Amino acid sequence: MSRRSDEYLRGVPMKPYDLVREGLIALAFVAALVIVLALVFKSPDAPTVRGEDVAKNHPLAYMKTVADLLSGESALESYGPPYTADKENIQRIVGPGPAAILGVTLPIDAEKDLVIAPLERAAVLNKDVAAALAVWKAASEDARKAWTKAYGDALDKAQEAGGFVKVPLGDYGPVPVMAMGMLDLGRAGLLEGALTSGEGLPYTLDGTKAMLFFQEDVDQGIAYGYDMHGSQWGITHEVGNLPGPWWLWPYAIWYQIPPLTTAPNADVIVGSLMLLFFLLLLFAPFIPVLKHLPKWIPIYRIVWRDWYRRKE
Amino acid sequence: MSLTEKAQGYVKDKLTLEDALPTKLPVYLNSMAYLFGVLTLCSLAMLIASGIVMAFFGPNWYHVAPAGKFFNSIHFWAAQLFFAFMMLHMATKYFLGAFRDGRGKTWMIGVLTFGCAIFSGFTGYLSASNWSAQWHAVEAKDAMNAMGIGAFFYTTNYSQMLTLHVAVLPAFIVVLVALHVLLVRHEGPVKPYPPKGEARE
Repeated sequence: MSRRSDEYLRGVPMKPYDLVREGLIALAFVAALVIVLALVFKSPDAPTVRGEDVAKNHPLAYMKTVADLLSGESALESYGPPYTADKENIQRIVGPGPAAILGVTLPIDAEKDLVIAPLERAAVLNKDVAAALAVWKAASEDARKAWTKAYGDALDKAQEAGGFVKVPLGDYGPVPVMAMGMLDLGRAGLLEGALTSGEGLPYTLDGTKAMLFFQEDVDQGIAYGYDMHGSQWGITHEVGNLPGPWWLWPYAIWYQIPPLTTAPNADVIVGSLMLLFFLLLLFAPFIPVLKHLPKWIPIYRIVWRDWYRRKE
Repeated sequence: MSLTEKAQGYVKDKLTLEDALPTKLPVYLNSMAYLFGVLTLCSLAMLIASGIVMAFFGPNWYHVAPAGKFFNSIHFWAAQLFFAFMMLHMATKYFLGAFRDGRGKTWMIGVLTFGCAIFSGFTGYLSASNWSAQWHAVEAKDAMNAMGIGAFFYTTNYSQMLTLHVAVLPAFIVVLVALHVLLVRHEGPVKPYPPKGEARE
């Protein structure tokens, strides 16, 4: 043994040990356990939420998503870094807030990137959409806001019928045609491609825009159904009865405790708390109370009971 | 003295073969609590083995082909066991005061491994290309963005999460675990707290 080990263990009785044998037995045990669990319980694989499914099965929710993004008042519009330069939603405890330091690194304009850009692709195939887009682009900001506001209000009273949406008559300018253009993109299964292509490659490496498209009501509603919403311990839950990443419970629990349940800066408070706890854990051997705590809680006497029986 | 000679001296001094592959242990190591470390290592081995198979065939395979789904399930359950054994290992080592007698460095490397594993597990969930992955990406991005991490760690960027999960984070974990195990073997198991009646440390 090394000089250090020899010195440290001098006078301590030793017993024979076969590390390789123990390791092989442990590996066989874990392998068998994993294989049995995999065969019996399998793994979570609920399908992703895709534009095609939402457009075909929930066209009203799809249209509302489009109207919200087009209104210029979606949550994404004033999200702040890393997507937009808005500062009012930056979460902070003191100072400017961590998000403000690195700023906008992934600029996204909800209206232009998530609706107008895909519609410009649809316009190549659909002259009605092209004409509606031209009207939209030529219109004043006030006119656009009036159309999207009226159309959004009308969608609240609209009904689904045969996979389409019946909207009460009104002055919505080009918005209904644009919304239908988006719905058609979705029904054709082209929404994600229209959102994420055009990055200089014939394939997609980053699905951010497609992921952000349904992040509000559609995703939130589905998450509620799966018991995975933030107010339901969020991502620590898994679809069905399978275990999720339960090791994040110490993180998720804070979001269930008032005032963090509704605090607008809950993420930065919880994140800071977890960073603090991690540092406490990391430096536990050097922190006065933490390093002595095991001595005061006699769990060690259970683990070393044979040793103490021998010594006392 | 050359760097090679220094490295040789370091290994000779710090890690003899008898330390690395011991044939005897102190008698106070007589509890199931000492198994959590090796069980964590075995779960990691299962994770790496199943992960290599999954990486070889790709996401389209492990979410479609029956064999792929089986390996996906192996990986999923190995991760569950890995975290369960690791947290039991960490908790027992803490309550044994295993960081005493100059073992603080070993503890810290273990905690850093735990931190890396959290991010590795997280990127794994984001790489699963199912509803859970989609929801994790959308839901967790707000927390990342609020902490400023979202300026370079894009939970919604599948390729970034996948490459972090299959290359970068496992490399960190393997290096940290190797260091941790080498230190554990070099230092030997910490002695029990003194029995009643003997002077406290």
